[in-house]
Amino acid sequence: MKRFTGSAVTAATPVPVNEVATVCPYCGVGCAVSYVADGDGRVLYGRGRDGSANAGRLCVKGRYGVDYAAHPQRLTRPLIRRETSYPKGPLSAFSKADSSGPRKPGSIVDYDEVLPHFREASWDEALDLVARRLLDIRQQHGADSLAGFGSAKGSNEEAYLFQKLVRAVFGTNNVDHCTRLCHASSVYALIEGLGSGAVTNVVRDVENAEVAVLSGCNPTANHPVAASFIKDAAEKGTKLLVVNVRRPPIADFAEQYVQIRPGTDVAFYNGVLHVLIEEGLYDSGFVAARTEGFEDLRAVVSRYTPALAGSECGVPAEEIVRFARTLGSAATAMFFWGMGISQHVFGTNNARCLIALALLTGNVGRPGTGLHPLRGQNNVQGASDAGLIPMYYPGYQSVTDDSVRARFEQLWGVPLSASAGLTTVEITHGALDGRIRGLYCQGENPFMSDPDINKVREALSNLEFLVVQDIFLTETAEFADVILPASSALEKTGTYTNTDRRVQIGRPVRGLPGEARQDWEILCEVANRMGYAMDYADVSAVFDEFVQATPLYKNLSHAVLGDRGRWYPCPDPASEGEKVLFSDTFPIGRARLVAAESAAAPELTDDDWPFILNTGRQLEHWHTGVMTRRSSALDAIAPEARVELHPQDAAALQVADGDWVRVRSRRGSVSLKANLTDAVARGTLFIPMHFREAAANLLTNPSLDPLAKIPEFKICAVQVEPLRL
Amino acid sequence: MSAEQVNLTIDGRDISVPAGTSVWDAARALGIDIPALCHDPRLRPVGACRLCVVDTGQRNLTAACVRPCEDGMQVVTDSADVERHRRMLTLMLLSEQPAESAREATTGDDMLYALARRYGIEAVDLPDGAEGCPRGADQSSPVIAVDHQACILCDRCIRGCDEIQHNNVMTRTGKGYTARIAFDLDAAMAESTCVSCGECVAVCPTGALTNKAVHGLWLRRGEGDGA
Repeated sequence: MKRFTGSAVTAATPVPVNEVATVCPYCGVGCAVSYVADGDGRVLYGRGRDGSANAGRLCVKGRYGVDYAAHPQRLTRPLIRRETSYPKGPLSAFSKADSSGPRKPGSIVDYDEVLPHFREASWDEALDLVARRLLDIRQQHGADSLAGFGSAKGSNEEAYLFQKLVRAVFGTNNVDHCTRLCHASSVYALIEGLGSGAVTNVVRDVENAEVAVLSGCNPTANHPVAASFIKDAAEKGTKLLVVNVRRPPIADFAEQYVQIRPGTDVAFYNGVLHVLIEEGLYDSGFVAARTEGFEDLRAVVSRYTPALAGSECGVPAEEIVRFARTLGSAATAMFFWGMGISQHVFGTNNARCLIALALLTGNVGRPGTGLHPLRGQNNVQGASDAGLIPMYYPGYQSVTDDSVRARFEQLWGVPLSASAGLTTVEITHGALDGRIRGLYCQGENPFMSDPDINKVREALSNLEFLVVQDIFLTETAEFADVILPASSALEKTGTYTNTDRRVQIGRPVRGLPGEARQDWEILCEVANRMGYAMDYADVSAVFDEFVQATPLYKNLSHAVLGDRGRWYPCPDPASEGEKVLFSDTFPIGRARLVAAESAAAPELTDDDWPFILNTGRQLEHWHTGVMTRRSSALDAIAPEARVELHPQDAAALQVADGDWVRVRSRRGSVSLKANLTDAVARGTLFIPMHFREAAANLLTNPSLDPLAKIPEFKICAVQVEPLRL
Repeated sequence: MSAEQVNLTIDGRDISVPAGTSVWDAARALGIDIPALCHDPRLRPVGACRLCVVDTGQRNLTAACVRPCEDGMQVVTDSADVERHRRMLTLMLLSEQPAESAREATTGDDMLYALARRYGIEAVDLPDGAEGCPRGADQSSPVIAVDHQACILCDRCIRGCDEIQHNNVMTRTGKGYTARIAFDLDAAMAESTCVSCGECVAVCPTGALTNKAVHGLWLRRGEGDGA
């Protein structure tokens, strides 16, 4: 007879676990999740909670990718660089030049190679050293020779304290973070056009949209749970209009997919705007009542006939007309975009076009309408809101506005710098030319994330003093004088603001490893030792001060947020907050239609450099790979970098799927395996940014958008050659 | 709401619901828990497992998850007859199950085992040699274990993949006793277009689709598993 052992299983001693309601540490979707961990803080499994952004859904990263926090390579004690390891430079063979190739080491930083260059120190010694060196540099070279990179992976509270440390204690506005590298141009254009840099509507309202434009984004890889709601809508009748140089999988659900040539977004959308105006398919009432600048826009786009625009972007004129008619005849439309729009030297102009499309068709301020730049990191919205931006205090209040500055001087009790600070790439360049001498890097890894790594290597080596506060020894930390072991998202209480403007509390699932400390406490310690008193009872008190400084977050507190969070603005703490913004008016009154002219990318193909390289992300990995490559599951699913190459180009190069190739730009070269796919157009390549052994940013062009200072990550000219092993 | 309302009684309690509401949902609104293996509120009901049968006074018991409420309907969810049916169904499903549940060991929420406990089933009365585990497994994915032996063909995974995540990877293949779930055109899970979102694991009611233990940790261990 068959024994059924169900009761025996339950009788066995269960592992003692605790389940914590928190927020996923990965992308900007902000999925509510519970992690179940054992007494040692090792996560057994995660399950989706019914959050406003995810309704119980998760993706591979949030469900299977959080074991990084328990990785044995976590930093557990402060580290100080040994005297013998000066002058500074990269320490692992890998971070040196020309290190990419099939026989070179891959994966994560080799601790055996790097750690001997550092000695363990007490917190007191390390913190005193940080404070003393930063004070010395300030005294000798002035406050503007110091700078800080904060992190969009940290909490709002950490971001607020970090920018306060740089502004009130260092005395400079040289504080920035990776928003500069992802949506700086979108934010610039939105603030210019509407007076607000955040999304005007939440992702899930796409269910009320007749049309959704998905431009320069690949949500199934980068915002997988948001993508599932967009696909929900598509199956229920929402028409997706997808524009992308590289075919994203969500194009399978599209009414129309348009594959334009790299860098021709402005021409394409100007063509669409041309048709909308020419055929009267725009909302003249909305344009008259709520916008300005229509005549200037009309004058510019009148030149972009579908034929002209189409020939520039490599698309038949009829495709542009069809796109415009579908959009123009819809009662409601939402606009989603990603890095394919923003990460260009003309990123601001690209975003201006999408804003003009939404305004011209009256698609802002109602359910099923809105502008939604899909934010990348879990807290890139919040870190920007909290003031990790060189030109704004918390809440986008200008540092050059005297009355604003006076208010912050009173709040923080010190005089503040009146001039806007340097942006991310400007700080790196400043380190090269000696303007920047001391840098505080909290949870950011510019060695991997900034364009033109060979230049970043020189810049980091050139710094007089670099302090890195992080959870692992990153590539950037190889250049550090002091490394401070910090807290992962799974170890702290703090709030995160997702792409929908939803502010949610993350809670600790596990304890800190070794002597690692909470980031907010480390920042307070450094401030105190530099002579500025920072003292908070707990992290919710930091949030309260942030709210006090930031009218955008009025009415919010940890108690109000609870387990479900709130959208900001939140005029009534008993409500969920505002989902759809700008129903009646814009923060600047009338929205501005800003015309943009098409321009050529700074680096184009020629006989020597015949391919265009595009860079981006992939589903299983996250930014510079510091976390995901230390997740056993994610690393097993996607262990290596591959360059996407069109099969016909591959045939011409005599390259088969999986063959090694070398990709070279004017700035560097990497070697990696080829992945043949017709998702990329002929003459174009795609390399994900996550893999240090084939770092895409060795190749990228550091040219900047003149307004938003975002680098050109999406277009650089390269050559490809097979690597015969 | 302009939708037409219908009035009915469930276990003697009156309720008014919009026309088209299922008996299962109406009972849930009253706080009456009708067991179900193939149904989940996030999924389109299919009435596959028949565990949610209720007595509506008609010739046969009816599956509550797919049965719309009707005006004047009198539903009994827990009669002896109903419970006898559910116990028999549970017994039959258990007869095919592996001896231990991978779900109990990983997330501790095997719904079939929970039903076994509810109905006090300790053993399945089959002649020696009648059972086996001939239906196979797929251990190719680094994060998800597939055990066809524990699968009750409720299709929750397929609907989770299609209707919740819209990844459209999962399907059924085979006929009769060899029927089972499959990925793409019956590829190994790791070779398929699966994106490892884990929705199939989240909705699976049994040990058929479970998380692999990331740290080698198990929630519970069975007898004889040692430490």
